[in-house]
Amino acid sequence: MQPERWQLIDRLFHETLNHKRDERGHFLVQACAGDELLRQEVEALIASHEGAESFIETPASALAAELLAKGKTGVGVGAAIGPYTIRSVLGIGGMGEVYLAQDKRLGRQVALKLLPGQFTASPERVRRFELEARAASALNHPNIVTIHEIGETEGTQFIVTEYVEGKTIRDLMSERTIGLIEALDVTIQAASALEAAHKAGIVHRDIKPENMMLRTDGYLKILDFGLAKLTERPHLKADSSFSTQMQIKTNPGMVMGTVQYMSPEQTQGEEIDARTDLWSLGVVLYEMLNGCVPFEGKTTSHVIVSILESEPKPFQREVPSELQRILVKVLRKQRHMRYQSARDLTVDLKNLKQELEVGDRLKSTPGSNARVGEERTEIKSAAAGGRSTSETIRTQASVVYPTSSAEYLVGELKRHKRGLFVGIAALIIGVAVLSSYMISRRAKAPETVDAIDSVAVLPFVNESNDPNAEYLSDGISDSIINRLSQLSNLRVVSLSSALRYKGQAVDAASVGRDLKVRAVLIGWMTKRGDSLSVRTELVDVRDNRRLWGENYQNRQLSDLLQVQEEISRRISEKLRLRLTGEDQRRLGKAATKNSEAFQLYLKGRFYWNKFTSDGFRKSIDFFKQAIAKDPDFGLAYSGLADSYSLVGEFSLDAPKDSFPQARTYAEKALVLDETLADAHRSLGIVRLFYDWNLKGAEEELRRAKELDASDAQSYHFYAHYFQFAGRLDEAHSELKQAVQLDPTNLVINAELGWADYTSRHYDDAIAQFQKTLELDPTFVLASLWIAQAYEQKGMYREALDELKRAKSVDPEWFWLDAEIACVYAFSGKRPEAEEILKTLNQRRTAEYLDPTVIAYVYAALGDKEQTFVWLEKAYQERAGNIPWIKLEPKFDSMRKEPEFQDLVRRIGLPQ
Amino acid sequence: MRPLPHDVTQLLVAWSNGDEAARDQLMPLVYEELHRLAHHYMNRERPGHTLQTSALVNEAFVRLVDQRDVHWQNRSHFFGIAAQMMRRVLVDYARSRQYQKRGGDVVQVSLNEDLIVSSEQTAEVVALDDALKSLATFDQRKCQIVELRFFAGLSIEEAAQVLGVSPGTVMRDWTLAKAWLRKEISNTA
Repeated sequence: MQPERWQLIDRLFHETLNHKRDERGHFLVQACAGDELLRQEVEALIASHEGAESFIETPASALAAELLAKGKTGVGVGAAIGPYTIRSVLGIGGMGEVYLAQDKRLGRQVALKLLPGQFTASPERVRRFELEARAASALNHPNIVTIHEIGETEGTQFIVTEYVEGKTIRDLMSERTIGLIEALDVTIQAASALEAAHKAGIVHRDIKPENMMLRTDGYLKILDFGLAKLTERPHLKADSSFSTQMQIKTNPGMVMGTVQYMSPEQTQGEEIDARTDLWSLGVVLYEMLNGCVPFEGKTTSHVIVSILESEPKPFQREVPSELQRILVKVLRKQRHMRYQSARDLTVDLKNLKQELEVGDRLKSTPGSNARVGEERTEIKSAAAGGRSTSETIRTQASVVYPTSSAEYLVGELKRHKRGLFVGIAALIIGVAVLSSYMISRRAKAPETVDAIDSVAVLPFVNESNDPNAEYLSDGISDSIINRLSQLSNLRVVSLSSALRYKGQAVDAASVGRDLKVRAVLIGWMTKRGDSLSVRTELVDVRDNRRLWGENYQNRQLSDLLQVQEEISRRISEKLRLRLTGEDQRRLGKAATKNSEAFQLYLKGRFYWNKFTSDGFRKSIDFFKQAIAKDPDFGLAYSGLADSYSLVGEFSLDAPKDSFPQARTYAEKALVLDETLADAHRSLGIVRLFYDWNLKGAEEELRRAKELDASDAQSYHFYAHYFQFAGRLDEAHSELKQAVQLDPTNLVINAELGWADYTSRHYDDAIAQFQKTLELDPTFVLASLWIAQAYEQKGMYREALDELKRAKSVDPEWFWLDAEIACVYAFSGKRPEAEEILKTLNQRRTAEYLDPTVIAYVYAALGDKEQTFVWLEKAYQERAGNIPWIKLEPKFDSMRKEPEFQDLVRRIGLPQ
Repeated sequence: MRPLPHDVTQLLVAWSNGDEAARDQLMPLVYEELHRLAHHYMNRERPGHTLQTSALVNEAFVRLVDQRDVHWQNRSHFFGIAAQMMRRVLVDYARSRQYQKRGGDVVQVSLNEDLIVSSEQTAEVVALDDALKSLATFDQRKCQIVELRFFAGLSIEEAAQVLGVSPGTVMRDWTLAKAWLRKEISNTA
């Protein structure tokens, strides 16, 4: 309608109404002056008006408000969008509405986000967003939300992602205080996601608490990768705050709250890169710890000025100085002063977290119910107020954590097979029964004949928040793995590979892909006082389908053994299935009837799994306590043998103080139960590294492999037998198999590289060590070995760089210093090498140093006399490293010397 | 992060100066505040008690807009946005209900679905929305008055205050708008 026309109608309508009813017709005819359409129009309006008294007079606003209150908007429950049926509203934000929906085709729950039209008007933008969102999703990273579909319905774009059950960090912060360890954990997980994304060239651009979702099991998911592409404007090279303001103000979808997380370069509209995400993540970390963002202001422009010019607001509570250092570095105004990669940030955060956790453990008396760790790591937000925890935080910050020389060396050495417990057997029987159940059930359907023949048991999540219960949660996972490994026709991933997922966001499908398994067992446990509750879930990795789940509520810890027998019976009944007699026997084998001994054993295993010299000492203590409670507890003896044999192999202690003990306990364990694979392996290690008895070692290691063919460690140590026997190709193929069985095990990956190194295949070795370091850049054993490989190739600069990096991770480990000296010696810097030698000799008075390592340096310096002096010392001590001289390239220059050949002969290795 | 009052004010100013992008930015801010307040009110009210929606919008305005800003005294844009927001919520809901009634294979789920809305009501809301869209093409102010009155629950006087016109003008516009809308709806029905 033309506005003029409408104005005319408006005027006539009211004028007509001002007339009495019986005069209106006449008035209208005159007023319209022959315009019949106009007259009809007004007349119709008058007629409509006559019946419109109550029309829309009752506001619908109450209903609207009610809908608003319930968060109900655009799409109603039950509505269908493509193949998705809306179930409920999850949230409404600046970038659209998010619904919980059901995918009718797959039956799974998904999150569906409708994108507001103003963001999707430009097809080019949508295309860029799609590209990037899909690329991020394709990374299959456990901390990045998986995108199922990007589609369009009736002109509205929507994104369908995996449904993450949990809360955003924003919600969490408004609900409760986030503890220090938890904040670090969240940040580490986020950084891990960013690392993967950045590697693929994807920058998130909008990291903020709203985009970080913490699942109930502690796993973090980063949402909305690529979404910022929809709101992005072309980069402005703008310096003035005016144009900055303009850019931010006119940037559709830019909710003002987000400014607080912007990096300086982002507020200036400059081109941004990976380091921008790190800044934003730093702001989130700061906020989690301090309850407010570091840069505040009354208005957007004040916030921006603060971001550009101010230092972060000081912490209201004391936090560890290392954490302050990290935050200062991540919040540097100049990009080049910041962390340059998410990986660097992750390394620092992980180290700090580890230190704090070790600190907690050092301080908490094992077994006591005092929740020391929890108290200490908590930082109250300003809002929470009240009780000051600064004192305890200060204590924590000042704890010195000496990284003992070998902590990192053994640090990640495989957590191999644990004992056999009746107790936890119940759960295992459940899973095993389930597997056979699935096999039989699937067998009926011809298209799904592929049975579930492999499973990964992820570390049980300790929901108690009680660090003292960690031993139980780890122990349960560990024991289940061990139990399941006993079953024929089922491959079980080792705990070390599974432990990589501890405290991480896991998606069963991606775990399945990484570990090459068909099913994943996820579990949660809660310990309250003497009460224990366990939940489990078995998931088919192909479609994230839950295959089986069970809750075991409020069981008594002191009745652990009986309780688990009961559980096993119940599961068997429930599934109406029977295992074969042999399987029953294997699963049900009782290790101890003494509940206290069992728990002490679990604690021992818990510390053993830490793989630090301190952890080993503690584990030895607990194993001995367990034996005191039950002198016939075979597993506890096997545990002791495990601890002592590894302490010996890695020269953490004088050989005479470790190997003989390992032998005694392994033999004792085998008297109690000849089928303990671990004990056979420990005995094999002693025979190989201490007795230099190749044949005897081979027997034990082979027996261990027979008893537990799915354990990668059996292959690992069998490979050492081959190496000392001079059968390098066979050693390599054993290690290849070990890696296949346990693809993410750091030690095994490094050992494969070591096999290349001892075969003089330096390029292959370097590639394999690099692969290992990608799994974990802080695994210094791989750093040491890659440096040795560089050294052989004459790449001294690379060797030195890597060693220096490793030293920043572990400043104490003397092998690194010795290797640095070697590199100096080879590159002609003799004085520097000799200086280090002097220091090492001084340290020898205070701690055990394997003389073989000192001999390395003398060999590098070309000092034959001293080399043989130290090798002889090592020989006399039966040092853990002496058998390696047969293969070590460092001695290639003296291999022909009669003294050297004599030494090798005396050790009894084939020439 | 709660929006800063100043930001909302700036956006309102920008929008009233013709910056349409500012309006797009305001929508989610206003929505979230309304949602929060409505939720808060609903939980406080006794069951069966009707929510005073104009009070709701007023409170959102007070919370979101910097009252000290002398350059900004006109409330019409804010209330307009709030009213539009409530219209959208209601209409979308009504449309989805209509849709469900038609949808053949849609599974009906009652997840806290305790809102009882008759199908006549939903049909009315949808038809009204369509008619309002036509009205807005040639008379924006009348459309806004209907939004303020019907969707945001404002009285004639409140609407007049918000729009900065006399109550008489609002009354006149309201009367014609009603007549026109009713006619339009019955024509298309």
